[in-house]
Amino acid sequence: MNLSRLEIGPLWRALLRNKVGASLIAIQVAVTMAIVINSLAIVIQRDAMMQRDSGLDEDNTFYITSTGYANDFNAQVSVTDDLSRLREMPGIVNAIQINAIPISGGGWSMSLAKTPGDDVETTNTAVYMVDENALETLDLSLVAGREFTPQEIRWRQPSQPNWPSLTIITEALAKSMFDSANNALGQTVYIGDEEPMTIIGVVDQLQAPWVGWSNLEHSMLSPENMAFTSTRYLVRTQAGQRDRMMLEVEEMLSSSQSGRIIRDTTTLTETRDRSYQQHEAMITLLLTVISALLLITIAGIVGLASFSVQKRQQHIGTKRALGATQIDILRFFLLENMLISGVGIILGTLCTVGLNIALVQWFHVTPLAWYYIPAGALVLIIAGQVAVLAPAKNAASISPAMATRAI
Amino acid sequence: MLSMQDLSKTFTTDSVQTHALRDFTLHVNEGEFVAVTGPSGSGKTTFLNIAGLLESFNSGQYILDGHDVSHLTDSQRSKVRNEKIGFIFQNFNLIPDLNLYDNVDVPLRYRGFNGAERKRRIEEGLAQVGLSGRMKHLPSQLSGGQQQRVAIARALAGDPRFILADEPTGNLDSEMAQSVMQLLQAINQQGTTIVMVTHDPALAAQAGRNIFVQDGRVHEEASLC
Repeated sequence: MNLSRLEIGPLWRALLRNKVGASLIAIQVAVTMAIVINSLAIVIQRDAMMQRDSGLDEDNTFYITSTGYANDFNAQVSVTDDLSRLREMPGIVNAIQINAIPISGGGWSMSLAKTPGDDVETTNTAVYMVDENALETLDLSLVAGREFTPQEIRWRQPSQPNWPSLTIITEALAKSMFDSANNALGQTVYIGDEEPMTIIGVVDQLQAPWVGWSNLEHSMLSPENMAFTSTRYLVRTQAGQRDRMMLEVEEMLSSSQSGRIIRDTTTLTETRDRSYQQHEAMITLLLTVISALLLITIAGIVGLASFSVQKRQQHIGTKRALGATQIDILRFFLLENMLISGVGIILGTLCTVGLNIALVQWFHVTPLAWYYIPAGALVLIIAGQVAVLAPAKNAASISPAMATRAI
Repeated sequence: MLSMQDLSKTFTTDSVQTHALRDFTLHVNEGEFVAVTGPSGSGKTTFLNIAGLLESFNSGQYILDGHDVSHLTDSQRSKVRNEKIGFIFQNFNLIPDLNLYDNVDVPLRYRGFNGAERKRRIEEGLAQVGLSGRMKHLPSQLSGGQQQRVAIARALAGDPRFILADEPTGNLDSEMAQSVMQLLQAINQQGTTIVMVTHDPALAAQAGRNIFVQDGRVHEEASLC
């Protein structure tokens, strides 16, 4: 194609002489670009957070709370008896008593140190108190070392402050403290400043209860059952048996002994949904804002282009009379939009970076990856070209005879 | 140069059929200056539109510069308009957002000339109409007569085979009108064929041949010079 037909120079000079409409659209494109790209980056980051694997067999896992109220309620007997019955039920893979539920929002955390003392570097971790059935129930795999034996499980009494001498930690925690799982194995870590715990195993992945926590992958297992009147059992069922087993377990626990309440039977799926509810709401809100802004911008472009075509009918007819083909006219409006969008995108790039710097500084958002900007620019250019297509086609269909009509 | 034989053009709305041209026959030879006159609604503008390939017709034959242009596609018609015809409109039809240079440049860009060639032609064209010092001016900064001169420069810039002028002095006072007519005559004397539509008998009298159109037909043809 002959480049002279593009009319870039005259078009640009004409735009400079009629700045108002074009400037408004360019500003709209810039603002849209800044908000859309930053919002989209947040949406993608939030979505990636929501897709993180907790490490559990979430689809087939639920938990249930038992709260004893009778004066003669014996927690230790109750837990032993309940776990024994649960593990015998057909349809259940395994079950454990646990002090906190991963990704549920509530749990225990402690600091581990490589050396004893209160003025040493520590690493925060979530603590799960579990027994020798933890790995199968939580769907964990050993990366190094071994799991707990039944003999290593102790009973923790209410308000008991001290800790067992052994622990299993996640690979992420091992890497954070000792660079690798193998390096961590056999090492002693100190909990509560002074108490030593020997790392006997490293598991692949188990998330902490707090989904917004920066150390989400830091978890440790402490070999103990809890002699607490209120406790939770985590139950892993065979595939597809969860919903049926929830009812059966609830019924079994309710009928197995008196003096307690069985409540809050909850699936891990529900827990995930609840924990990520705010993220989900944020994503929905941002996607709505993105869609609205894009629609408004597209509507603005359609409006300006339609008005421009309406206003320039005789000029278009004149150009056609002077030799412009329909393609020339179509291309003219597409190019005009491209130039306006181009200015908007240059401004928008500055606005996008500026807004991102502000978001990073004020709200600790992850900095924008560079490729969001060209990708966003491309989307806006395509949106602009699509928006202007219909008015441009209308313009191209204007008869050259319009040149001789009195307007 | 221009030969129309039994051309007919009908405009049809939901309930009315209007015969704008009926069996319209006209031959214009190379180098002629022909004025087409007639009352309002006689078909002058339809003739001009068809002669300039701005509109199609229903039947008949139209030979332009030795080629039958009756059945050209839209883009072929654009090409013929661009290469062979120069248009001068009653309202000048300059693009208000473009300066004089860019206005004259419009048909040259569609012709595909390179930048240097376009520059030469624009400068020559504007010089020919006495406006070489005002290339960067906008049309709104010129008088009506000057704007029509720019339109003439634009029509001439592509070296057309003939010029179609639609009431070229219709929006000018008598002094400016005469000046534009003198310019057209000078152009004609250099060999360019001109067909001018006008309702002004005094202007028509200055053309080499006068065609009177009424009810869509060539009613009377008289040589005035």
